[in-house]
Amino acid sequence: MSSKGIFLCLIAWSGSLLLSAQDKPPVKFGNVTAKDFATTVYPIDSNAQAVVIADIGYTFMEGNNKSSISVITKRYRRVHILNKNAFDAASESIFFYKNMDVEEELDKLKAVTYNLENGKVVETKLDTKNGVFKETINRNRFVKKFTMPNVKEGSIIEYEYTVRSDFFTQLDPWLFQGPYPVLWSEYNLELPEFLGFTFLSRGYKKYDITKKNTRSTTFTIIDSRGTGASERGQFSTNVTDHRWVIKNVPALKEENFTSTLRNHITRIEFQLAETRPPYAYKNFVQSWSKVTTDLLLDESFGEKIARDNGWLDEYTNPLVLGAKSDLEKARRIYYYVRDNFTCTNYSDFYADQSLKNIIKTKKGTVSEINLLLTAMLKHEKILADPVMLSTRSHGQTYELYPLKSQYNYVVVKADIGNTAYFMDATEPRLGFGHLPVRCYNGHARVVNKTADPVYFTPDTLMERSSTSVFMINDEKGNMVGSLNRVPGYFESFSLREKVNEKGKESLETEIKKSFTQEVSIAKLKLDSLNKPEELVWVNYDFDILDPKEDIIYFNPLLASEGYKENPFKSALRFYPVEMPYGFDRTYNLQMEVPEGYVVDELPKSMVVKMNEAEEGMFEYRISQSGTSISFRCRVQLKRAYFDPEEYEMLREFFNLIVTKESEQIVFKKKK
Amino acid sequence: MRKWVSLYLFSGLISLTALAGDGDYAVFKIPPALLKNANAVVRVHEQYVELQKEDRLFIREHYVITILNEEGNHFSEFFEPYHKFLEIKSVEGALYDGMGKKLKSLKSKDVEDGSGSGGESLADDNRYKKHNFYYRVYPYTIEYTIESVKKETMFFPSWVPVFGELISVEKSSFAVDVPSGYLLRYKEFNYSREPDIKESGKSKIYTWSLANFESIKREYAAPSWKNIAPYVLFAPSSFVIEDYKGNMNDWSSFGKFILSLNKGRDQLPEPVKAKVAELTRGAGTNEEKVIRLYRYLQANTRYISIQLGIGGWRPLEASFVANKLYGDCKALSNYMYALLKEAGIPSFYTVIKSGDGADDIQVDFSSSQFNHVILSVPLPGDTLWLECTSQTQSPGYMGDFTGNRHAVIITEEGGKLVTTPRYGMKENTQVRNVKAVLNEEATLEIEARSTYSCMQQDDLHMMINALSKDKVKEYLQHQLDFATYEVGRFNYKENQSRFPTIDEELDITVSNYATITGKRLFIVPNIMSRHARRLTPNESRKYEVELDMEYRDIDSVEITIPAGYSVESVPQEVVLDTKFGRFRSSVKMEGNRILYYRSLDHYAGKFPAKEYAELVKFYDAMYKADRAKLVLVKNETTPKSF
Repeated sequence: MSSKGIFLCLIAWSGSLLLSAQDKPPVKFGNVTAKDFATTVYPIDSNAQAVVIADIGYTFMEGNNKSSISVITKRYRRVHILNKNAFDAASESIFFYKNMDVEEELDKLKAVTYNLENGKVVETKLDTKNGVFKETINRNRFVKKFTMPNVKEGSIIEYEYTVRSDFFTQLDPWLFQGPYPVLWSEYNLELPEFLGFTFLSRGYKKYDITKKNTRSTTFTIIDSRGTGASERGQFSTNVTDHRWVIKNVPALKEENFTSTLRNHITRIEFQLAETRPPYAYKNFVQSWSKVTTDLLLDESFGEKIARDNGWLDEYTNPLVLGAKSDLEKARRIYYYVRDNFTCTNYSDFYADQSLKNIIKTKKGTVSEINLLLTAMLKHEKILADPVMLSTRSHGQTYELYPLKSQYNYVVVKADIGNTAYFMDATEPRLGFGHLPVRCYNGHARVVNKTADPVYFTPDTLMERSSTSVFMINDEKGNMVGSLNRVPGYFESFSLREKVNEKGKESLETEIKKSFTQEVSIAKLKLDSLNKPEELVWVNYDFDILDPKEDIIYFNPLLASEGYKENPFKSALRFYPVEMPYGFDRTYNLQMEVPEGYVVDELPKSMVVKMNEAEEGMFEYRISQSGTSISFRCRVQLKRAYFDPEEYEMLREFFNLIVTKESEQIVFKKKK
Repeated sequence: MRKWVSLYLFSGLISLTALAGDGDYAVFKIPPALLKNANAVVRVHEQYVELQKEDRLFIREHYVITILNEEGNHFSEFFEPYHKFLEIKSVEGALYDGMGKKLKSLKSKDVEDGSGSGGESLADDNRYKKHNFYYRVYPYTIEYTIESVKKETMFFPSWVPVFGELISVEKSSFAVDVPSGYLLRYKEFNYSREPDIKESGKSKIYTWSLANFESIKREYAAPSWKNIAPYVLFAPSSFVIEDYKGNMNDWSSFGKFILSLNKGRDQLPEPVKAKVAELTRGAGTNEEKVIRLYRYLQANTRYISIQLGIGGWRPLEASFVANKLYGDCKALSNYMYALLKEAGIPSFYTVIKSGDGADDIQVDFSSSQFNHVILSVPLPGDTLWLECTSQTQSPGYMGDFTGNRHAVIITEEGGKLVTTPRYGMKENTQVRNVKAVLNEEATLEIEARSTYSCMQQDDLHMMINALSKDKVKEYLQHQLDFATYEVGRFNYKENQSRFPTIDEELDITVSNYATITGKRLFIVPNIMSRHARRLTPNESRKYEVELDMEYRDIDSVEITIPAGYSVESVPQEVVLDTKFGRFRSSVKMEGNRILYYRSLDHYAGKFPAKEYAELVKFYDAMYKADRAKLVLVKNETTPKSF
């Protein structure tokens, strides 16, 4: 056994020796020959409309004349445009950051389009003076755009530029993957010892080359900001050269039931961990409790709620007047914040506005609004803490690495009695003690001194709904019935939104249309529509108006019940299926056989398990006793996350459900 | 009130807000009729436009809106675009509670400034200012006063007193102040009175006004806003933009102005001239030459939008396009014009209002109503129309983006009103033949052969040209209306011409297409052409019904089913002959084959509101007929082995 291990190890070793000859980037700026145009279909993706031949980034630090360090990033990119639908690859937008009068700069832009004309390579240069357009996005961001000249089908474009930045604590992630396949994606980072960064790699493609090399170098820092002669300082330090290369990276693909593509993009991210001498020694990534303790002191976060905030009396006193318990107080405060403040940004971790300003402007980011809620609860001596999380569309977080940049959302946890209540005051129709579906994305952290982890896991969420239908023959022999439906909490939430937006009338129309038969709807009742903590009850009577033919074909799943199509349409799957929750849907029907008819055929009952572990269950039970038919149909899916390997099983399971649910009861007129 | 407005206009600088004491905007002062079916009420809206110089318009706008409930919130946002020719001088604002008590004033630093150029554009100077009080205690009232200056006089603002649906208007006025001798041009819609005109020495002030206008509710297929709400379009007579002067009293003069913008911008570099000669050599007809040059344009240029200053209206030079091989609609049309000119073929730069289902221009009101440029080439027989921004479109075909409407061609003698090709019932067709085999497991193997023509092929044309083959497959794998299916072989063949068609071959395997329960088999014979729209009945329909597109669908289907079944029930033949269209479907069994035939002629036109109920019925009947099932029963003689 052990000898086999050594053997394998040797092969791997010699494999890497062989590779070293192919270690060099395959391209050099300006080195484009007729041969480079020869490939029109690349083996990596025969359907590709453009292929990125190479995408290479190189980042290093140097001393500047503002007594600090600058980050210099050189970017090189070569793209072979294979057809006109990839012309968008010939336009580039480079995003920059600025703060007050310090802004990142674009330098040394060089860009060339190559075309093969009569067997010869013809170059057209981008006019970098008149062909680059700057656009201000906001106070802190701007973009520079350019498009390559002379682009045709088959063109090769190539550009390189340098970005100088004085914001050395922030390093942009490197994305190895994009909308077009990349043959060679490489990122180099020279990191001086005085800056410690944590590296986070994501995505399913593994590195083909990683290298690490340490050497010594000297930094020169000049201060020419004063009026006198400039001061000069020098120090030696070790620098580590990192290199990451991935070859043949396929293009990104959109798929249904993916919470965000960001979870799957192959990339490397950087988070400042610490600064070391000659900088002041400072640790940026420590234990979770250190992170949350720091956040509690941060003036753009916890400092707001750490204070006494006595001035809040004016707002909370009238709210809690006469409240008999802490729970009632918390409820009133929650609804006050929910109903009086507008959320302007649902993805913002920091709170720039002061609490007083939030109260004044009546608006805020998700963080601001929920910190206000926390402050008001605390002011009333209720144990409340903010909880930091990353929403589904923002991507999963690494629990092991307490990196603030992974988080984009704040909710509130209140401990009242022995119960923890989670709340989010940014949704106008959400109930006290509930979170929106976007928050269910796994690991989250309470921002308190102990940094307690919490898990909002879709797999543990179960959306339960039930529908009961009773049908009888009325005195005229018509088929009439009543339907009672209690959807799960999330469906109740969207039903509230829908009724509010479009009105009850349009819901009635929608219900009417959802029947395959011609029906009239009466007494539509929506219970608990305005009790956001509860489930909505939908109740209505219906009369089937279809004329009674000699044979009646009747699907016992009425209205919008049952699956009309398979939610998993694609035959293939690359990424995991990430649904927001599991579910359990039950449907019951009791009906009288239509007057003057007999049952000619009933669908067969069946019970199907999706797998051994019974994580999916489908039940279809139907029986007749005298003139009465009982029917029960239940679909259960106990998990929300499925690996790509399980996709086929999921698809087959639903195929079976759709098929079975389309079956009909056949009634025949008595002779 | 009218008198007061006029007074204010003369006094010029008096602040409007000063006149609005606390309580004036109290909600109880709104006439009850205006609260019906309304989410918001415009309390006061005054606009004052002054032609100060031949190249300068001063605009002051003041409005007060009461928001009644949550759905009215979108009316509370202040949003004002600006650009190089439009400078916003000042913005004032205030917030009032339901009793009309002032709660807050706007501070200028609260106004957000942002870039208004879409992601599509490489460079333009569009920006915006935006503000919102975010007050959410209903009802509340917002007030804004904006002063801005336009540094061109080619475009006058329009008066749109009714902002949208479910908002009513208490008072609204629009005053235009021009020098006495100036001819102010306007066209009114749903406004029956003459404007109020006051002359005083040097200036003449026209005022339009509206009071107590009850809210409008949008309806399906309703006429455009201009045809249901009061609306006034304005245009200059003589005008100035940057270094250009013009007059738009008639289309001819408008065209002359465009001609002056384009003047001298059609020079081609020598190599391109040589290319034109090479390409046109040996071409038999002018049409052949045009098509060759258009194909050259399509193969060698792409659309990139650069609209800076006057560049929003003046094309980039042909030599620029020749060097960079890109441009916007103006630049590419002008380049094509230059290529044709070099080949000795005259053509016309043509301004048009593009867009699927866009309102046609007001032909009797010559003014800048356009957003796009195409090229028209007069040829013996018929004019050939060229969309110069597309790398794939058929020469001569306009589609729903620019077809079926008016446009203005720019000739040496000036502008001329013309119509672009019309695509009607005969042109917009979809003919489909389906052969399918159902097996014992209820799986259906489909071979569908379809031909789509003109406007029925527009979306498909985009798809097959924009997507790679595997993306097309992915699209098909999601788009078709089956529960669980696999797309097999597929192929598209485009036949490009003035009336382009696309032939589609599509093989699909549908699992469990039919439902087999015990001894019965249920199957819908209409496999792929089911009319999907069902309308909501509306007994109090107010507006005419406008249907835009005429089209014809013809389907024939043959399904072979497993042996041993006999018919229990066949859907009745359906024949619907209505004002809106003709529909026919019929099914029959021949041996073990189901034969299905369907045809739909969908008409376009304007129909009285009271006929809406019939349209609802027509769509419902088609919906039902298209989903009708055929029921077969297993013959008793077959041994029950399963």
